[in-house]
Amino acid sequence: MSVRRRGLAIGIPAFVLAALMFSASLIQFGLTIDHALAQSSVRPPDNAVTNAPAEPGLPRVQDAVPSTGGAPSEPLSILGPNSDATLWGEIRQGETFTVSIPDKKAATLIQSYGIQWQLTRAKNGALRSYGGMALFAMLALLFVFYLFRGRIRIEHGSSGRLIQRFSGIERFAHWLLAGSFIILALSGLNLLYGRELMIPVYALLTSPEQGKAIFAATASAGKWLHNNLAWPFMLGLLMIFVLWVRHNLPTATDLRWLAKGGGLFSTGVHPPSRKFNAGQKLIFWAVIVLGVSASLSGVSLLFPYELPLFATTFEILNGLGAAAVWGAPLPTELTPLQEMQYAQIWHTIVALAMIVIILAHIYIGSLGMEGAFDAMGTGMVDRNWALEHHSLWVEKVESEAGSAGTAATPAE
Amino acid sequence: MARMKFLCDAERCIECNACVTACKNEHEVPWGINRRRVVTISDGVPGERSISVACMHCSDAPCMAVCPVDCFYQTNDGVVLHSKDLCIGCGYCFYACPFGAPQYPQAGNFGSRGKMDKCTFCNGGPEEDHSAAEFQKYGRNRLAEGKLPLCAEMCSTKALLAGDGDDVSAIYRERVVARGFGTGAWGWGTAYQRKGS
Amino acid sequence: MLRKKTNGAAGRPRNESILSKVAQSAVDRRAFLRGSGLAIGGLGALAATGGTVTRASAATAAEGAVEVVKSVCTHCSVGCTVLAEVQNGVWVGQEPGWDSPFNLGAHCAKGAAVREHAHGERRLKYPVKLEGGEWKRISWEQAINEIGDQMLKIRDESGPDSVYWLGSAKHSNEQAYLFRKFAAYWGTNNVDHQARICHSTTVAGVANTWGYGAMTNSYNDIHNSRAIFLIGGNPAEAHPVSLLHLLKSKEENNAPLIVCDPRFTRTAAHADEYVRFRPGTDVALIWGILWHIFENGWEDREFIRTRVWGMDQIRAEVKKWTPEETERVTGVPGSQLERVARTLANNRPGTVIWCMGGTQHSTGNANVRAYCVLQLALGNMGVSGGGTNIFRGHDNVQGATDFGVVSDTLPGYYGVAAGSWAHWARVWGEDLDWLKSRFSVMPGAGKDGKDRLMMQEKGIAVSRWIDGVLEAKENIQQPDNLRAMVFWGHAPNSQTRGTEMKKAMEKLDLLVVIDPYPTVSAVMHDRTDGVYLLPAATQYETRGSVTASNRSLQWRDRVIAPVFESKPDHTIMKLFADKFGFTDRMLRNIALDGDEPNVEDITREYNRGMWTIGYTGQSPERLKLHMANQHTFDKTTLRAVGGPADGEYYGLPWPCWGPPEMKHPGTANLYDMSMPVSKGGLTFRANFGVERDGQNLLAEGVASVGSELTDGYPEFTMKMLMELGWDKDLTPEERAAIEKVAGGSDPEKVGKVNWKIDLSGGIQRVAIKHEAAPFGNAKARAVVWNFPDPVPLHREPLYTPRRDLVADYPTHDDRVDWRLPTLYASIQKNDFSKDYPIILTSGRLVEYEGGGDESRSNPWLAELQQEMFVEINPFDANTLGIRNGEQVWVEGAEKGRVRVAAMVTERVGRGVAFMPFHFGGHFQGEDRRSRYPEGADPYVLGEAANTALTYGYDSVTQMQETKVSLCKIMKA
Repeated sequence: MSVRRRGLAIGIPAFVLAALMFSASLIQFGLTIDHALAQSSVRPPDNAVTNAPAEPGLPRVQDAVPSTGGAPSEPLSILGPNSDATLWGEIRQGETFTVSIPDKKAATLIQSYGIQWQLTRAKNGALRSYGGMALFAMLALLFVFYLFRGRIRIEHGSSGRLIQRFSGIERFAHWLLAGSFIILALSGLNLLYGRELMIPVYALLTSPEQGKAIFAATASAGKWLHNNLAWPFMLGLLMIFVLWVRHNLPTATDLRWLAKGGGLFSTGVHPPSRKFNAGQKLIFWAVIVLGVSASLSGVSLLFPYELPLFATTFEILNGLGAAAVWGAPLPTELTPLQEMQYAQIWHTIVALAMIVIILAHIYIGSLGMEGAFDAMGTGMVDRNWALEHHSLWVEKVESEAGSAGTAATPAE
Repeated sequence: MARMKFLCDAERCIECNACVTACKNEHEVPWGINRRRVVTISDGVPGERSISVACMHCSDAPCMAVCPVDCFYQTNDGVVLHSKDLCIGCGYCFYACPFGAPQYPQAGNFGSRGKMDKCTFCNGGPEEDHSAAEFQKYGRNRLAEGKLPLCAEMCSTKALLAGDGDDVSAIYRERVVARGFGTGAWGWGTAYQRKGS
Repeated sequence: MLRKKTNGAAGRPRNESILSKVAQSAVDRRAFLRGSGLAIGGLGALAATGGTVTRASAATAAEGAVEVVKSVCTHCSVGCTVLAEVQNGVWVGQEPGWDSPFNLGAHCAKGAAVREHAHGERRLKYPVKLEGGEWKRISWEQAINEIGDQMLKIRDESGPDSVYWLGSAKHSNEQAYLFRKFAAYWGTNNVDHQARICHSTTVAGVANTWGYGAMTNSYNDIHNSRAIFLIGGNPAEAHPVSLLHLLKSKEENNAPLIVCDPRFTRTAAHADEYVRFRPGTDVALIWGILWHIFENGWEDREFIRTRVWGMDQIRAEVKKWTPEETERVTGVPGSQLERVARTLANNRPGTVIWCMGGTQHSTGNANVRAYCVLQLALGNMGVSGGGTNIFRGHDNVQGATDFGVVSDTLPGYYGVAAGSWAHWARVWGEDLDWLKSRFSVMPGAGKDGKDRLMMQEKGIAVSRWIDGVLEAKENIQQPDNLRAMVFWGHAPNSQTRGTEMKKAMEKLDLLVVIDPYPTVSAVMHDRTDGVYLLPAATQYETRGSVTASNRSLQWRDRVIAPVFESKPDHTIMKLFADKFGFTDRMLRNIALDGDEPNVEDITREYNRGMWTIGYTGQSPERLKLHMANQHTFDKTTLRAVGGPADGEYYGLPWPCWGPPEMKHPGTANLYDMSMPVSKGGLTFRANFGVERDGQNLLAEGVASVGSELTDGYPEFTMKMLMELGWDKDLTPEERAAIEKVAGGSDPEKVGKVNWKIDLSGGIQRVAIKHEAAPFGNAKARAVVWNFPDPVPLHREPLYTPRRDLVADYPTHDDRVDWRLPTLYASIQKNDFSKDYPIILTSGRLVEYEGGGDESRSNPWLAELQQEMFVEINPFDANTLGIRNGEQVWVEGAEKGRVRVAAMVTERVGRGVAFMPFHFGGHFQGEDRRSRYPEGADPYVLGEAANTALTYGYDSVTQMQETKVSLCKIMKA
């Protein structure tokens, strides 16, 4: 027991510290950005609000020089030339025009993509329905699995001999990542589904008015956490990559392991594996890929309009022949607002995918398998457990340690 | 029932920005927040027209649909208002709004937004009418005084019309007839579809 | 669903429709909607005070009630009514002034933001002086004493003419009048204001054509126009609310709107016909149009025969301007001008509108007279819907001009001749000899060896004060150079030759700025001492009358007390008068409220002297009555229908003849003979004798309706009354007053007394009793023989890119006028066009006004225009390799250079660049923000366009040439 407590004692405080450290450093960052907006010819009032884009706008200057139109001295018809539907069409298509204020986004009269974004995200939108289904499906799957397979026991019982499986730094990285991810996931889901799921609950507990107020409070707290914990998450992601990538390169054993379904579905079957089995490797790579993608889209959401990603991404994809897949080439001319919309959608998609996968990971790492949690809890695992699930790794460790017996000390 | 609408007559708008400063004046809107703005089309060439745009108080307002905390509400006059007490500054309404109406002050570190601010059709917010809190959060509540939005009332050429949709379109029709030609009442399709309210 | 938080008491049932509430409320707001449709008059139905009560009870019930104060916008000359909501002395809100016939509740960006004056975060808060390069706060007493002592010293050493009193179009009429009087008591004619660089050429040119130098009709009268010909003006930005009236006639009368301008302005964007022509070729353009009119016999022969003199000489000149020649000079194809001419001929009456684009040229006076001739040829004068509607710039530039805040005349255009001084001395009750003693005399410097009485010499024009400082003493026709400048409400960056102005400012002994804001005068020079800034109050912090462009007077009530330590202008004048020791004389007829001269008393004093232009009927009482009953005035005719002012025109547009008791209604449209003079009718003024070269200058067999004199007649004198036997209509008092003026009852002397100097107004009264115009009934002069160019001629600008035309259309020879040598040919003879190939012109932005110190200090406006720019045609930009938004250097032909952002746009034609002139605070690339007094720097600074603009002055009025010069543009 003391061992486990020691284990947790490493993870949680470390992660809290990290979180604070990051949010603190970022407040500085934020201020410097405000500063960058100042214009030489302007000293705004003290109560001025800095919501202008990074590049200070130029009064009435269009971003694109107009193509030389008809000779301006040519007479205008008595009935006014300006009633042509095409112009209104352009406006409807989100054409940008001229504003004298620095905020260039204001130069778009009507942006229609918002509707698509809304339809994707809003109530009954594809994102929410499919995301919800996926989550539900995974939970159901795990439940069914539990019913049939139950908790996977250590077949030969506890040997009482412990082996060091994960070092302190490894566990720190894991919990930094895991801890921040859980909060990010919850606060994210809260924004996505809270309006329908949580408000009624709070309302039921208090009053309709109160319900909203309470939810708003939790939501803005969640927003703050979500913004600030993004950084610990990214650090964790980096650490586990550096620490574990070499253990996660695919090998032939993985195929054999997979062929046997990892022995998950049958008792007594224990396909050999090294430090990480194919299942874990899959999770590892999923986390890396989705995590990085979520991080990138997240950062561009964190600094609105300053880190556009998708125009370039789409260009690359088109280069790779995305058109063939997509049917048409992906749009590479994106307004700042569209960038934000894509980023927001994409962020949600990868986040949902990640959540679904991690649910399985959490299950197997805790409830699903006896002895598995110790690996990340104390870092010490029972030798029998290790032999059953990571036989090759055990052999390697023990051969390195010379004679097996002396290596570890008996528990209690 | 009455249905409040805005209409900007592009044939009359001369980009004088009275609507913009009237709004700033009436509601003490800080530098950097633009509840209303004037956009100029084909600037500097024949066909140049300007349009004053703010929240159009849509019938099926996208902002209402996407708000994760459900802070919007629509009055019986069709005015779309929101509660700054509930707003968490997520920016979703700006992604959804066809007219770029929502505005956010910079709050806290990096790009994080403060509570959203937008045109209220001079109709305040959920606070008690004419209360100090209402003014401080949302500006004056002219409708409750039996007045229409100041931007329209002060428009230099009466290009910007505000009020009950029927009256507004009646006036516009009158003008179009007199001119013998008409431009589309821009934005109405997007904001109000063909709905009366 | 989220709903209004209610506390029962104040909360309203939200399910009740607001519009239904509106319908019940005092103001039916839907009437506003209807009104804002075509029937603008419909707005008259609205009573604007409704609703405010609600706010009073609700907004902050704890505090005092909200009172609504009526003032008038202090920006442009439209005269929009400002309704200020004041609560416990704090200006808490603005409401639309529905009742005002001028703006019907409308405002532009500036008008909708005037409440900011009360915030005044960037106002000059207390008197400061520059000491060792640092701004030091001082008291008013210290300021007045130190400034006064230095001025008196300069006066002793160099005479009163070495102090220049630069007044302002921002003065109220009372302040303007008192300012001119103040300068007279100080003893100089070196007094001037913005009108010099605004419409001075208009005033001179138009007055010399038909009598009065002002807008002949009104903004509202444009409702009756069948065509609108707009040249050299951009009212959409300079007078936005006037577009309310233009667009009404465009929509309702289907009146074609023709805009002639080198730049495709925001006004042109709404035009039916846009004529782009080369800057500085106005006369050629007009003659080009007239050529078609004369060719096709579209002119109004009868009108010309009876009411115009000299049209034949015009014909002779116009003959030369064939479509080919016109196109060669102006660049406008003949076919288009033919269409324009036809449109004007087929749509009468049409109105002609012009602004700075026509006036600010070395040929300004010729330009404006050409416009007048166009209207005379079309017979569009003296009719409703026609006329020359000259849009004045500042809110009271018309009034300040009328009250003679200009170096060549006393109040009422009396001039500065001996007789004029005698008249005003009588009005002021002043001892003429004492007044004379205040002025210096240059012995033997006058004509043929006589003494030169500075009292009767035109002063230096504000456009030339620089030269008054820098010019060699012997070349200046006054005792000494200028040594002290007083900028009393005037921005220096609205004047050309910025680099030389900087030198001049540094050479001065003393520089005083009296203004609500520090202005660019505080920072553009490198002085370290001898600069004083005194905080003046805005017009919202005092009361008085203001004259709109259409000659209507409106009364402003005081909205709030002067903020910080600022004082109203007339109070400051009184303080200086104390220091100079002539308060008792200057304010002899004017009561004092503490240090503040009583405003109404000042009005009454000028009522007793302004006979020439009929500023005599507008007593404070009548003006206040009009303001209180705005809703009773028709929105098109401006005439009150019923109510206490029944039959009178709104604001008693001058001339409002006779004393107030005569109840003349004012004159809405000048020279309109379809009405009796007593009802506002008028004839052309007989101001130039009765005949010329044996030709009759008086009207031919026509007179205003009801006139007992049915043919032309000269201006009224006592002699004329006696001959007509009308003198028996005079009351004994009037006769006595006239004899007093004559200085005896000797008929010879008495006969000489004319309608202008008769302090009783009797002669006017009697003339009008017989429905005759006091100033006579003459022809308009198409040819002004007392000007350098009697027939308006096209002359190439001093800095012209068209060297090939210089030979055919040379400018004037150098001349000496207004106390200074003025260059023409000696500049034009040099070819600058090689090094400076691009024409540079300047103009307005809607958000700012004038030098912009006021509007750039208003956050609501400043946010909308945050960077100075230059408009360049894509063709030139691509040739110069300049991209949109890049920083560029614009260098004027005199080497003044400004660093601004390039705006590449079709708005300007090839070879033309445009810069707005409202910016300041940067100088040739240097940001001088740090030089402003602490916390009084405008929100937005930028290069002043006039730093790069060049020499060039009108041959009659010294108007500066800002609308055509040369420059080169390069990447910064």
